[in-house]
Amino acid sequence: MLENYFPVLVFIIVGIVFGCMPMVLGWLLAPHRPNAEKGSAYECGFEAFEEARLKFDVRYYLIAIIFILFDLEIAFLFPWAAIFKEIVGTPGVKLFGFVEMLVFLGILLIGYVYAWAKGALDWE
Amino acid sequence: MEILLQTLQTFFGPAWPLVWTLLKIFGIILPLVLCVAYLTLAERKVIGWMQVRIGPNRVGPLGLLQPIADGLKLVFKEIVVPTKASTGLYFVGPAMAFATALAAWAVVPFSEGYVLANIDAGVLYLLAMTSIGIYGVIISGWASNSKYAFYGAMRSAAQMVSYEIAMGFALVCVLMVSASLNLSDIVHGQAKGAFAEMGLGFLSWNWLPLLPMFLVYLISGIAETNRAPFDVVEGESEIVAGHMVEYSGMAYALFFLGEYANMILVSVMTSIFFLGGWLSPVGFLPDSFVWLAGKTCFILFLFLWFRATFPRYRYDQIMRLGWKVFVPLCMFWLLFIGVWMMSPLNIWK
Amino acid sequence: MDFKSAVFYFLATVLVLASLRVITARNPVHAALFLVLAFFSAGGIWMLLQAEFLAIVLVMVYVGAVMVLFLFVVMMLDINLERLRQGFWSYLPLGATIGLLMTLEMALVLAGRYYGLEAMPDPGASGAGVNNTKELGRLLFTDYVYPFELASVILLVAIVAAVALTKRPRKESKAQNAAAQIAVRRNDRLRIVSMPSEKE
Repeated sequence: MLENYFPVLVFIIVGIVFGCMPMVLGWLLAPHRPNAEKGSAYECGFEAFEEARLKFDVRYYLIAIIFILFDLEIAFLFPWAAIFKEIVGTPGVKLFGFVEMLVFLGILLIGYVYAWAKGALDWE
Repeated sequence: MEILLQTLQTFFGPAWPLVWTLLKIFGIILPLVLCVAYLTLAERKVIGWMQVRIGPNRVGPLGLLQPIADGLKLVFKEIVVPTKASTGLYFVGPAMAFATALAAWAVVPFSEGYVLANIDAGVLYLLAMTSIGIYGVIISGWASNSKYAFYGAMRSAAQMVSYEIAMGFALVCVLMVSASLNLSDIVHGQAKGAFAEMGLGFLSWNWLPLLPMFLVYLISGIAETNRAPFDVVEGESEIVAGHMVEYSGMAYALFFLGEYANMILVSVMTSIFFLGGWLSPVGFLPDSFVWLAGKTCFILFLFLWFRATFPRYRYDQIMRLGWKVFVPLCMFWLLFIGVWMMSPLNIWK
Repeated sequence: MDFKSAVFYFLATVLVLASLRVITARNPVHAALFLVLAFFSAGGIWMLLQAEFLAIVLVMVYVGAVMVLFLFVVMMLDINLERLRQGFWSYLPLGATIGLLMTLEMALVLAGRYYGLEAMPDPGASGAGVNNTKELGRLLFTDYVYPFELASVILLVAIVAAVALTKRPRKESKAQNAAAQIAVRRNDRLRIVSMPSEKE
């Protein structure tokens, strides 16, 4: 199994090298003459009054949290989906395997409906 | 060819597997970069024609040297580093954006047996790489220390994570019917079926029974790559170029390359998951890489077409579509497929 | 030293260094990014242990989701470093207690075999054709059904808690109701009145 992952490892390393190379190239070939105006942040003419890193709306956190939970749910669904054909093919566990996932999804659906009803998924 | 390989093998000795892998990797990356370059030209040409313009036609015959001119221009442009930016992370951002866009290509099967890493968990690996891609955006937005960049990055991150859920669910449906996380096996699974035996292979591909999931995956792919009409991230009229606003020269080019490489990736993936990969649509023609390329080009054309046709979505509409339309739709279709497979009408034996 | 060990030592070194930087980095954003690196290396090590599915899920869930949330929080809650450092001494007793407990627990686990506490037998080598994900699926949906369903309950609790804790009452909500917009018919908006044409 591991030998299948060897190309992946090499690919990731090559990817990182390819990611850095153009910048090195640009650094070497392009002019480099910074000045105060060039180095200022992109703004509408004058310096910003406040820090760029502002406090953000709480909804972004909420979306991130809900995303984690659904991501986990999908992680659980993957092994089930991969063997579902097998479950269907085996008469004894056919219904059991399906109902099991129904219960899992049903419980999470309650959470989803709750989030929806509370307006956690709303943006205005 | 055989002899050449033999000589090389004896020349490199124990380092041969590494060298051979590297060669194969370059065999993927270099054509990919070329495709990216010409995709930018294709985009300008196609959108030009759709808007009754000619598009670039000055550099070289039919404007064919335009991408090379663009590339050279970007190489010789200064990389401006804003004074207030966090210097280290400022450069990590674009590198990550491009590296993750490339790394996902490791598991893509191009044709029967032509795959660099034939891993069992290919689908998972792809999802993992897409989710790491968000870091390029977040890091660059934060490191630029500019309001536009920061807003753009945060919006983009929230949008990308929302559509990843829909994408994941759509893939779960694909897995249910193909019973494998290996991308080649997913293609093989689509070669079977009643229609395939009749010689009408294209009706046996996943797009038909999983039609809603096909659409969800395609649209999520567009949203995930921040393409029009979901490109509020770089909405020119609101936050200029979003997280890329402070970047110039090659650092900017990396974002650009990453975005287009991701577009091609999403197109290839859609072809593999739903359009039968390298399988031939009809029985009397052989399966080959050409089909995969053709399908990919078709979906890439859709990307460009959408950009020329649809007005930009508003941000709240994007989030609503992702969370309130796609997620319930996916859940419903998952159950539907489940019931279908349980019933005697099951077509995936 | 074979290639596998070399990869292991490389990943382990990166993991340890990144973890050290997590707790020593002054800038919380840098710390969070080093944590990302640490998770990634840990995923690599799991991969070396043949835990294919778990390794990629670790990257997908922790690197792709949990750390995005972390970054959102540390990036946007403009954390005042000076104030954080002031509280250092008052939090020290609590922090030290937790740290000590954790060290103790880890020591117990690691030293377990010296006290005859052989917790889990070696899983043994699996055959070449074994698909990690499917194997996991088979176990999860037969022997470990209750833990699996419990996991969904825990996720539910987490969703409800997250929504309940962060959702503040709206001031003025202006969400768009797309369904209503699409359902609008001509007669709802427009009234055609027939009136005699007027002459000058």
